Amino acid sequence: MQANELQNMPTLGLLSSDMIAAQARAANEPEWMVTWRAEAWDFFAQAAPPKWRRTQLAELQQETIAPLFKAQGTAIQWDKALESKGVVFSSLAAALHTHEDLIRPHIGTAVNPLAHKFSAMRAALWQDGVLLYVPRNVEVELPLRLSYTLADGSRAMFPYTIVILEQHARLSLVEEYTSRGIPETALVAPTTELFIGPGAEVRYLTLQQQGQGVYQIGGQVMQLGRDALGKWTSIALGGQLQHMELEARMQGDGSRINWVGATFGNQQQNLVTVPWLRHIGTNTESHLEFKTVVTDKSYSVFDGMIKIEHESHSTVTRLEEHAIHLGSEARSDSIPGLMIDTNDVARAGHASTSGQVDEEQLFYMQARGIRPDEAKRLIVMGFFEPALAAVPLEALRESLEAAIEAKI
Amino acid sequence: MASELIIKELHVAVNGQEILKGVNLTVQPGTVHAIMGPNGSGKSTLAYTIAGHPNYEVTDGEIIYKGENILELEADERSKLGIFLAFQYPVAVPGVTVANFLRAAINAQRAQEGVDPKETAIPMVQFRRELRAAMESLSMDESFARRYLNDGFSGGEKKRLEILQMTMLKPSMAVMDETDSGLDIDALRVVSEGVNRLLNPELGVLVITHYQRLLDYIKPQFVSVMMEGRVVRSGGPELALELEERGYDWIKEELVGDAS
Ligand SMILES: Nc1ncnc2c1ncn2[C@@H]1O[C@H](COP(=O)(O)OP(=O)(O)OP(=O)(O)O)[C@@H](O)[C@H]1O
Ligand SMILES: [Mg+2]
Repeated sequence: MQANELQNMPTLGLLSSDMIAAQARAANEPEWMVTWRAEAWDFFAQAAPPKWRRTQLAELQQETIAPLFKAQGTAIQWDKALESKGVVFSSLAAALHTHEDLIRPHIGTAVNPLAHKFSAMRAALWQDGVLLYVPRNVEVELPLRLSYTLADGSRAMFPYTIVILEQHARLSLVEEYTSRGIPETALVAPTTELFIGPGAEVRYLTLQQQGQGVYQIGGQVMQLGRDALGKWTSIALGGQLQHMELEARMQGDGSRINWVGATFGNQQQNLVTVPWLRHIGTNTESHLEFKTVVTDKSYSVFDGMIKIEHESHSTVTRLEEHAIHLGSEARSDSIPGLMIDTNDVARAGHASTSGQVDEEQLFYMQARGIRPDEAKRLIVMGFFEPALAAVPLEALRESLEAAIEAKI
Repeated sequence: MASELIIKELHVAVNGQEILKGVNLTVQPGTVHAIMGPNGSGKSTLAYTIAGHPNYEVTDGEIIYKGENILELEADERSKLGIFLAFQYPVAVPGVTVANFLRAAINAQRAQEGVDPKETAIPMVQFRRELRAAMESLSMDESFARRYLNDGFSGGEKKRLEILQMTMLKPSMAVMDETDSGLDIDALRVVSEGVNRLLNPELGVLVITHYQRLLDYIKPQFVSVMMEGRVVRSGGPELALELEERGYDWIKEELVGDAS
């Protein structure tokens, strides 16, 4: 990244929908996308900043955010032989030309671009992005890997991911967010929309390992069709601030989500996760187990919601969140909610714990000669085990374990 | 070096309430010493205090092991000195496998001040071999090694795991707190045989139990009876048989008689 290239970019406050439309036309984007971006920008320009609870956004100034009108750090890893089975794994910009028919009916339908200022900004400004498409009955055995890396010196990035699984397709996807160098205040605002077709199954691991100054503010929605199965693992370790709105949307009858989360905050991090379990179809089932560890002066927030819509029947849902405080100055809040618009729920369960490392566990380990710091390390790693066990690549798991250990 | 465990006039309080009120007891290496006594008499309190549980506050008295006043040592340091507690209620640690836990414990025992832990760590191959052998000797299925520590274990499985740990860690002073409770008849035999195999002239064993049945397998040279926070009677193995037959009331009566 050249420093002068960045200096020449207008910051957010100086952009207009005309400029954005002009950039999109210059990139030869189809006219509907040009309009889509411009409308999103107009919404952004007039919308008030969101009032997200327990989210420290004050230091994120739009004068410092200068978007680049080109992709800066999208990388994909896969076996090209899958192309012969009809699998598409390509940058979203390129796919706008090659697979416009797949993108147009999907983009913006799971994550509403006009929900608030940030969703609109993401829709208007995305450059990095990926389309991943798995045709009917195709099973992708090995995990595909997708990473978005904020370039050294860059101040903003708006990755947009669209994943489409047709009927009975199977996929394992690892999606990573990282940054190079030691970013000053920078914004990474990702959007991911996953459309999981009838009877299809997806393993989706999403991993946030941003550097210190990064504000990651994004939305991810997994929409599940009839009898579809989602296995979602969300791991968040990095950034100055995170505000991630996540939703498993059980649209089709018989769809299920099995979701585990792991968040670890240290130093001054403020990590907010807003996961929704939204039941629309009948006989849908959700299970979310969310683990948080905080240390130093970090502040972690679980702002979850179980929403059972009027048309859904026989829902089964279970939400568990547990937090461990390694230091007395660290904080975590858990504010789970339940909104039920139907009188036909099969089972809705909730469990929650929060506190220091369990003294009896610590003593049990010490009684075997294990020193308290090592015992805490083992207990924390064990606490995160449900999420770590879902990491499909051994090398990635090891690097994650090292990253977690470094924070303890 | 004198390697007996010496407990002198030990007073222990929990949450400000005195539970042990002057316990005196010595366990010689190479001997098995049984402790019996009614529920709530302070047996587990004694066991936890020897192991160094932070909630058990020693208000008076001493515990000497290998010539050292161990009351000044943390629980992990006591363990490294050779003290092992088989818990009455083993603690579950979800997410930590039995194998990883045992390896961490063994490496902790092998660690030396000022030496890179990587150099003293047990080689993986050796660890696996020793673990497999120990599990086989206790008739434990290999799959146990991959399960999470005591998580969802049955009562008997937990007790078996305690003795597996004892087998792997080879302590010189073992306190076994009701290791027999929760074991079925076959498991009691297997576990007792496992303990008997570990007996050696350096190992002192303190067996806490309610039942003679365990002492038929693990034969004590000494038996002490605890009541209301004190050791009130000591004798040979015949004392356990007498308790089995007569219960504790006669001792209580004698104590009242002694006092008046
Ligand atoms: N952590 C604690 N908090 C409060 N009271 C305790 C605690 N630990 C022990 N006590 C009390 O101390 C007394 C002795 O308990 P302890 O567990 O040592 O008895 P025990 O002899 O092992 O009994 P059992 O045969 O039932 O295992 C009991 O009255 C018990 O309630
Ligand atoms: Mg007891």
